[in-house]
Amino acid sequence: MLARVRLILGIAVKHLAKRKRQTAVAIAGVGIGVGFFLAVSAMMIGSQNDFVQRLISSAPHIIISDEIRSPRPQPAIRALRGTTVEIQGYKTRNEVRGIKDWQEIVQAAEAIPGSIVAPSLSGAVTLRVGGREEPLGIIGVDPSIEEKIENVQDNMSAGTFHDLETTQGGVIITEDLAQRLGVRMGDTVGATSAAGTRSLKIVGLFARGRGQFGNNGYVLLREAQSLTGHPFIINRIGVSIPDPYAAQTVAANLEDRFGYKAQSWQERSADFMTLLLTRNVIMYSVISAMLLVASFGIYTAVSNSVVDKRRDIAILRSIGFSQSDLQRVFVAEGIILAIIGVVAGWAIGTLLMQILGSIRFPILGRVEHLPLDRSARQFMIAGLSSLCAAAIAAWLPARKAARVDPVEILRGAA
Amino acid sequence: MTALMSTRALSRTLPTEPPVTLVRNVDLDIAAGRFHAVIGPSGCGKSSLLYLLGLLDRPTAGTVLFRGEETNTLSGDERARLRLEQFGFVFQFHFLLPEFTALENVLIPIRRLGRLNGSAMADQALAMLDGLGLAGQAGKTPDKMSGGERQRVAIARALANDPSLVLGDEPTGNLDSGNSAHVIQIFQRIAHDQGRAVVCVTHDPTVAAAADVRIHMLDGAIERIE
Repeated sequence: MLARVRLILGIAVKHLAKRKRQTAVAIAGVGIGVGFFLAVSAMMIGSQNDFVQRLISSAPHIIISDEIRSPRPQPAIRALRGTTVEIQGYKTRNEVRGIKDWQEIVQAAEAIPGSIVAPSLSGAVTLRVGGREEPLGIIGVDPSIEEKIENVQDNMSAGTFHDLETTQGGVIITEDLAQRLGVRMGDTVGATSAAGTRSLKIVGLFARGRGQFGNNGYVLLREAQSLTGHPFIINRIGVSIPDPYAAQTVAANLEDRFGYKAQSWQERSADFMTLLLTRNVIMYSVISAMLLVASFGIYTAVSNSVVDKRRDIAILRSIGFSQSDLQRVFVAEGIILAIIGVVAGWAIGTLLMQILGSIRFPILGRVEHLPLDRSARQFMIAGLSSLCAAAIAAWLPARKAARVDPVEILRGAA
Repeated sequence: MTALMSTRALSRTLPTEPPVTLVRNVDLDIAAGRFHAVIGPSGCGKSSLLYLLGLLDRPTAGTVLFRGEETNTLSGDERARLRLEQFGFVFQFHFLLPEFTALENVLIPIRRLGRLNGSAMADQALAMLDGLGLAGQAGKTPDKMSGGERQRVAIARALANDPSLVLGDEPTGNLDSGNSAHVIQIFQRIAHDQGRAVVCVTHDPTVAAAADVRIHMLDGAIERIE
């Protein structure tokens, strides 16, 4: 059995070695296909991972807010369930803002192993410096907890997150807002809310281009509570969990139990997730086409080999090779081409990744590299799909080799 | 002497329009240890008969019996197996695989059969070449050898798996008289000394003269056997 496999491979190798140019073209086709597959997928998957990583780390995985998805039903509707009730001219009760029994929710969220729970309060104030006024959404947090669930420090261009704890009335705002107000680090601004006016001191700035901070600023939780006149109230609970991809289920769970809207990062970024899906569909279509084109090269090479070797096929049949033996010879040719092509493609892909990885992009003063995914998974996918494509591409003409009628060839040659 | 191979009412018709009958109603017995020559004018169906005997082609009517067994009912793979183990073909053109050396060509049927281990295979192939005076040519590819040498390598390949039937299709057709005589000698030896059945389709009167049995064919049918 082994001798037979070696014999068949030996014949296939001899055929390929004799036809150097076609062999080289077919190998180059597969190699370039696999190489670019790897380079493109490394970029696409790398940027996707990078993007998702940013989405996951830039904000808590789950945000529970004091909103409810649909208003509570009117008491009359609840009382007369199953009947048609028409109520006109009612006034909804003025709900007190803030999450009720938030300690209970925090406890429930903390019960998830490895989770980090950060309650916060957000509200709106107006910053005033001289004659200028700018609205600011303030988020009151505990920096030592918040930093574990939200990547704040990395986005700061001046000051540290912990300066909030050491400075009375400290606030962190974006560079853009500071510029519009004409203030710098250490300056004091007036903050007006329904509860009155206080002065805040700028202890940190967010770098430009960090859209997620928008017109928001960070203060200490109790500062926010007194600024907005809501002592002991919080209206937002950020939850981070060890497996970010479980956020959707955990969020649905918490929302079911407590009724407050719990948004996973996937829900908040649904539009981006759709975009990523579309990108993946495009990527896999393009690389499938590359591999398909590469397998055309193999089809041509094997097909020509079958035509060229009709006499050898007849001879081998007369010696006692079966039809399936001959089919195997030519399928083996395709697979050998593919294996060499895949290995060459891995080398080309690695080289392309090196080149792409060494390109530097200066973005807003920071030097960034292309995020590349160099995982072995992509190499395996490229290799296996090329081998499968090659096997099919070789099998089609190889069937013709099996069908060659030896008598016709021998008679013609004699 | 019982026949190694026999045909009964063997016919082969090409399904063309109008149909062409290549072999017509042939009854023939091929005996072990004898050298048979099939002779007749071009196009009389000699080669077609040979392909039927070698199980490369299937008859449209009649049967080919090998050691008394019906071969028509065998599958393609079983017929291939029989060719591998029992038959050896020698053609007018040497029909060696051009990419392989003489030794490798002789090794192909041995390796396909796979009964021996690696070094025993090479020993057997070398012995085959040696027996035909080709020991020095083992490492040469066909294009580096003379016509006579190539044909002898082809004979060595045909004999590689110790077949009971050797089939020749104009084996001397491309050789000069010296080499022809050599090949005829070999064929006589493998029939008489080694006890194989030899069937040679030939135009060459010297081959016919050297044979034990002469089968004269005309228009696809056997005219006479002497």
